[in-house]
Amino acid sequence: MQLENNNDRPALDDLFSAIYEELRRLAFVVRRNEYAVTLNPTALVNEAWLKLADSPALTFESPLHFKRLAARAMRQLLVDAARRRLATKRGGGADVQWVTLDESVHQLAVSENELLALDEALDELAAAEPRQAEMIECRFFAGQSVAETAELLGVSEATLARDWRSAKAWLAQSMRQAG
Amino acid sequence: MDAERWQRIQRIFNVALSLSDAEDRESYLREACDGDDELEAEIAAMLDEDSRPDSLLDQGVEQVAGSMLSASAPPPGSRIGHYSVKRLLGEGGMGVVCLAEREDIGGTVAIKLLRDAWLSPTRQRRFQTEQRALAQLNHPGIAHLYDADTLPDGTPWFAMEYVQGITLTDYCRKHNCSIERRVNLFRQACDAVRFAHAHAIIHRDIKPSNILVTDDGSVKLLDFGIAKQLDALDDTSGKTRTVLRMMTPAYAAPEQLVGDEIGVQADVYSLGVVLYELLTDRLPFDLSNLSPMEASSALHGDTPVKPSENDIAAAGKAQWADLDVLCLTAMHADRSRRYSSVEALIRDVDHYLDSEPLEARPDRLAYRAGKFLHRHWQVASVILAAVLVGVVLSVFFTIRLSAALDTAVAEASRTKRVQQFMTNLFQGGDALAGPREDIKVIEMLERGAATAETLASDPPVQAELLHNLANIYQRLGKLAEADSLYAQSLERRREYFGENSTEVAESLVAIGLLRVDQARLEDGEALVRDGLALAESLLAPEHPTVIAASLALGQTLRERGAHDEAITILAQTVEHLAATGSVPMDQAAALSELAKAHYAAGHYDDSASIYRDVLQRHRAIVGNAHPLVAGDIASLAAIEQDLGYYDKAEMLAREALAINERYYGVESPHTADNLTSLGRALLYQQEYEEASEALERALAVQESAVGSSHPLVAEAVNELGNILAMQDRFAEAAANFQRSADIYRNVHGDRHYFVAIALSNVAYMQMKQGDYDKAEALFRPVIRQFTDALGADNVNTGIARIKLGRTLRLAGRYADAEIESLAGYEILAAQASPSISFLRAARDDLVLIYEATGQTEKAAGFRQEIAALDNDATH
Repeated sequence: MQLENNNDRPALDDLFSAIYEELRRLAFVVRRNEYAVTLNPTALVNEAWLKLADSPALTFESPLHFKRLAARAMRQLLVDAARRRLATKRGGGADVQWVTLDESVHQLAVSENELLALDEALDELAAAEPRQAEMIECRFFAGQSVAETAELLGVSEATLARDWRSAKAWLAQSMRQAG
Repeated sequence: MDAERWQRIQRIFNVALSLSDAEDRESYLREACDGDDELEAEIAAMLDEDSRPDSLLDQGVEQVAGSMLSASAPPPGSRIGHYSVKRLLGEGGMGVVCLAEREDIGGTVAIKLLRDAWLSPTRQRRFQTEQRALAQLNHPGIAHLYDADTLPDGTPWFAMEYVQGITLTDYCRKHNCSIERRVNLFRQACDAVRFAHAHAIIHRDIKPSNILVTDDGSVKLLDFGIAKQLDALDDTSGKTRTVLRMMTPAYAAPEQLVGDEIGVQADVYSLGVVLYELLTDRLPFDLSNLSPMEASSALHGDTPVKPSENDIAAAGKAQWADLDVLCLTAMHADRSRRYSSVEALIRDVDHYLDSEPLEARPDRLAYRAGKFLHRHWQVASVILAAVLVGVVLSVFFTIRLSAALDTAVAEASRTKRVQQFMTNLFQGGDALAGPREDIKVIEMLERGAATAETLASDPPVQAELLHNLANIYQRLGKLAEADSLYAQSLERRREYFGENSTEVAESLVAIGLLRVDQARLEDGEALVRDGLALAESLLAPEHPTVIAASLALGQTLRERGAHDEAITILAQTVEHLAATGSVPMDQAAALSELAKAHYAAGHYDDSASIYRDVLQRHRAIVGNAHPLVAGDIASLAAIEQDLGYYDKAEMLAREALAINERYYGVESPHTADNLTSLGRALLYQQEYEEASEALERALAVQESAVGSSHPLVAEAVNELGNILAMQDRFAEAAANFQRSADIYRNVHGDRHYFVAIALSNVAYMQMKQGDYDKAEALFRPVIRQFTDALGADNVNTGIARIKLGRTLRLAGRYADAEIESLAGYEILAAQASPSISFLRAARDDLVLIYEATGQTEKAAGFRQEIAALDNDATH
């Protein structure tokens, strides 16, 4: 993960900040079961792009480049959030406990461990084939379509469909083993 | 897992997928894995996963986001600092707000916590910005900050006043408020914004949901979450742009939507939209489904339906006309046509509430006069007189004329208090009688200075008034009065705005320019440089105050005779303005100053060509019939006059005169100035009768406008002296020249070269009357004065030396005469048109001197030059 390089992080702070706020909106909408009315991950990335397009601190080579970075930022933000949540659950000894407001009405669809397992498996996949790890980031974390992702990665849609199927299956079995 | 193994896995997996029969698959898999059990198990597991539809990756990231970023808050009973959480009030992108109670001394507060503070420094900074803004803004219309700290887990929080109320729009709907009441509530909101602006904070997200009305009907402005500290030394615009987009588009100014640099006028725009919504219960534009760019161009392209044209009818028709103007001026897409500040907006809201004319009316003058006449005729006449004075006063500088005073008067009439002040200024003792007809500017100013003293309760307004009065006094040549008023203004500004403020910088520059007028050139330069440095440390280089200070420095250097340095600085300023694409009017003003510097340096060609450029620019901006255009033409006339092309000078002076006569009327000080130039041009063409007619008219107008001791009067008196001299009435002429010398000395001090010019003329009259000793005694100090003030090779120095040369020749002192005449000849020959009359005089003298002393060769040389020129003239 290039973004874990601490030197990059300050420069991309705007990106993280914008993506975070968009993700929060998305999360809010999902919990209200209003999902898909206006907001989806694709819209989220576009929204973040609009907010950041003119930022001189972030010189993107192109909108495509931006989308790839945004996808990675989304993955990292969600994984960070999962780690935080786990740490809090284990009891950080803080005076103030943050409780989830709507736990009763909303069953967690995804557990922290599940997401962390995916993150780990993705790193392993990246070691073997970085482009496919990026494909997962774009398709899953940034919600890009098959066509967009193919364009982002510079491969044919047929190749992408085949890669997606195999990578997905491998990640799933890897996560199941971890869980 | 290495790449090779992954390749192999994919290959086997894909082939296996193509086999539909389960048994075929199993046997293929066993065969392909060739005894690698681990590989076989892994691919079998993949095939198993592939057949399940509910993998995490199939669900989409929304579910992950929903789970990982679930809304969380400290539960009731949690302790935050001295407070105990009661319940959650709300959550937003930035964090959560809880209602809490102070445990030790009681009292309810709202606590805002920044959720996931670890995530990014940008968000932490923004949270701190809001906290800092609230800490600074102690105003009844803005929630107070009580306390701020960080939780043990690193979450920052602050406690603020808990505002129990409903949004402005809901409140008006619920209580079915009258238009009057709505405008009153709106004014309260404006006042809170004005207060924030006065503390250099722009809110940037003004909308009805951020304006609450409490049960007792008071208005509170909330959410400074994306507020911006107005700071000249701010970070790059990139960061601001990012935040700009976080605001609500429906209320955002067009410049905000496209991420332009924004200022206080963005808040004015948002307030305008809020007012629109309050008046009509709807938004002026439907911007949903538009990108920011599209929205911005929609705002620029469409004129909103006037509030009055929405089908609501509560106020009367006349009232609605004003509300339309008020609202649409506040939310004008073009910033130059929007209210320039919230103060300006509030003033017009007050005008509306007091049934007074708005300042924003497009047909301002006529409208205002009409409305006032209807109500109080004497006030109307006062306002008209004020306008007239604005016109009258702007005469006092041209090459000389500049727009600065008009601006000063416009500034001065801006606030309501200043208007009252102007009213008092013109009313005199008897309010019912209206202004006296024969009132003099000076009298009005004296009255004004006394009135300004009474405004001590409002230091910024008082300081501005004193500054403007000082400026007018300075223009009128009353330098001591100007000095004292500037000093008072500076003192007030230091107290109110602090030493490091734009206002202090402006004062320093103004006082520096006054020192120049007082002929204290070194002091002046130092002050102007201090003011410029201060302005540059506070403001962007293209800020009008910085530009004005740069121009002032150029002017100061020019007066000091440091022409090259002046030209360098002014040329830089001109270049900078052109590069930053600044206002065309500013560019023209800077060019004018540069032209003046070239003129003073004797670069007549450069000066004339820049003036022609300025003239063209002014014509493009204001048309052909504007006094600005007349001013440029008059400057060109002055150059032709100095070059000795009197016929051209006459033509140009007539052109300038015609424009000003049409603009100001025949008997105005502006036309007087042009008449003086015309008279001078005629004089040198020996059209004495016409010349004295023009000059006497000029003198009469100027004496009545400015009193008899003004520099402009001195100029007219000087020209009349010239006419008398040409008619051989030397004693009378000398008296006139002496009078103008006295006026100049009074205004500019002993050392100023204007004094020297007048005294040089007095000396010349002595010579004409045959008193050579007296003439020489006057000429010598005059030449020293010219040399000190303007330099040894200046035209004026040259002319004085030629005149002294003639005096000495007539006295028969040929050796002394040769030195002066030759020096003067060389000075003039180096810089002006060879036909100039003084140069001719020098040649004549030199011929006579050399002949008288037997140096026939030298005499013949000059004779030949004269003959050559005469020949030229006859062809």
